[in-house]
Amino acid sequence: MRQLLCFAQAPRLIALITVWLAYCCIVFKMRGAKLKRILIIDDLRDRAAWLKASLELADFDVVGVLAWEQVSEQSIQAASADVIIVDANAPGRDTLEQISLMSTTLEKPVVVLGAQKDQRSIEAAMRAGVSAYVAHTVQGEDLRGIIQVAAARFSEYKRLRDELKEAKDQLVERKLVDQAKGILIADHGYSEADAYKRMRSMAMSKGKRLVEIAEAIILAKELSA
Amino acid sequence: MDGSKNGISGDQAAGVEQNTRREFMKQAAVLLGTAGIMSMVPMGTRAAAWAGGSDAPELKEVKVGFIPLTDCASVVIASVMKFDEKYGIKLVPSKEASWAAVRDKLVNGELHAAHVLYGLIYGVELGIGGQQKDMSVLMTLNNNGQGITLSNQLKDKGATSGTALKKLVDSEKRDYTFAQTFPTGTHAMWLYYWLASYDINPLSDVKTITVPPPQMVANMRVGNMDGFCVGEPWNNRAIYDKIGFTATTTQDIWKDHPEKVLGSTAEFAQKYPNTARALIMAVLEASKYIDDMSNRHKVAEIIADKAYVNCPVDVIDQRFEGKYEDGLGKKWNDPNYMKFCNDGAVNFPYLSDGMWFLTQHKRWGLLKTDPDYLAVARKINQIELYKQAASEVKVSVPKDVMRTSKLMDGTVWDGKDPKKYAASFKVRA
Repeated sequence: MRQLLCFAQAPRLIALITVWLAYCCIVFKMRGAKLKRILIIDDLRDRAAWLKASLELADFDVVGVLAWEQVSEQSIQAASADVIIVDANAPGRDTLEQISLMSTTLEKPVVVLGAQKDQRSIEAAMRAGVSAYVAHTVQGEDLRGIIQVAAARFSEYKRLRDELKEAKDQLVERKLVDQAKGILIADHGYSEADAYKRMRSMAMSKGKRLVEIAEAIILAKELSA
Repeated sequence: MDGSKNGISGDQAAGVEQNTRREFMKQAAVLLGTAGIMSMVPMGTRAAAWAGGSDAPELKEVKVGFIPLTDCASVVIASVMKFDEKYGIKLVPSKEASWAAVRDKLVNGELHAAHVLYGLIYGVELGIGGQQKDMSVLMTLNNNGQGITLSNQLKDKGATSGTALKKLVDSEKRDYTFAQTFPTGTHAMWLYYWLASYDINPLSDVKTITVPPPQMVANMRVGNMDGFCVGEPWNNRAIYDKIGFTATTTQDIWKDHPEKVLGSTAEFAQKYPNTARALIMAVLEASKYIDDMSNRHKVAEIIADKAYVNCPVDVIDQRFEGKYEDGLGKKWNDPNYMKFCNDGAVNFPYLSDGMWFLTQHKRWGLLKTDPDYLAVARKINQIELYKQAASEVKVSVPKDVMRTSKLMDGTVWDGKDPKKYAASFKVRA
């Protein structure tokens, strides 16, 4: 009798577990899928490309990259994104505001980036309600992952760009110093080491940068030529 | 004895400071009953009361956002002409790219106050399109001086007036696109009101979009829109660039209408009442200065700079001095040009002005239900703080917190029955 009971209940239990598992899967999938599709609106194409790449690395699906002049009800609709990421300082944000407000089907969480650089101030801004201002269905907690990735990428982008600029500047400076050295060698018969030493000591005594001295030498040469 | 009831800065009623002058002031106010009678107290006494110890501004630096428009003038002038220093603060103007950014920065504290659309402050208070936040209107910055521009293509079709536009929209079917500057803002409400007065429903008969003010002219040039409503100098710029004409000025929709306000969060006004008062005083002085017409050209030159409006002086100057032309050959001197003070008639934060925006938000479906109009306006408009500041800089304070206005379609708005008024419009969402 007892055995019978067990056998009778086992299928029900299995069925119950199956249903529960399926439910969990759906919930899990929904949670994962909820914020999968991202639309980026940015006029700076290389920045947008960086952001896209980084979001894709984090397993997000970037469904579109729009410039601000392409933003319209139709283009937003067509992208059917879950989250829109924009630069906080873009004038076009008001355009997006109207679109999200007037067509309730297009209400999307908008993540604003650019003004805040570190995670703490982004969180502060989010607590103040800034980033989640159209997020009626999505709470700040859900956006955190995206913001973390995007914010990290933003600062990474900025760092790389700064480094690139620095490297370029250094290259230009080195060229100018070499040119000035050449002038001193040709016109005054200094050795390369002496030419450099003279330029450096002049820079130190005048309180100027080496590249400024080099520029002055090149200018003087042009004048006398 | 609660100070706020008697017209003395509210939160100081805790009475930790035993400042005898202030105690005297409080008692005087109680005896006299209302803040309106405060003006009977000798000027020197009041100045001393606010200058002393705990009444000094809590903040030395006040960051104030603005959008490049002619009516940002008083904020800029308060700083450039150093009216701010006179009241113990340093006003730091901060140029912003969008109204959304102004709102966000006010809400998260990056800006203390801002030159901002009247309706936007009310929209944030009611959580329209975003997170709700308690807001404050410290004073009104200007009346008049906005406009509705239609494109030259419409002119070629004969649509040079509202009536003619209605005919065209009815007879020649296509998508007509009109732009304003922010969904809950003033320009949206002027544009909607004007179109609706000609029986054109702004939400169903035409398409309305939002475009940042400095980009209006460029967008019209490439044919993205048939008309727009925006503040100066951008309507005059459209004529200057020969791409459109002025169909109406906003003073012809509502003479002496409220426009931009000095807005902040409620938290700012509550936490730093002395700073807020000093800020109002500095901007009021600047407003007086700008309304002296002999100063207007100089002011136009200052705000034309790249750091502010970034537009040729001539384009700003004409309408700023009341010299209008509509781009259709008509020229006139407009007595209702953009005013900044008008002996305080501009700046008083009338409750009826604030409520008007709520009635229009309701009319156009931005609010689904009627709010408690009067309670909201009372909460937002900082009348006591304003009165203290105004009497301090000798700007007249009106007796009534409401005013009566007649709009272009003949309807009268006096603030008495906002719910009925909001429901009275035939053309609506």
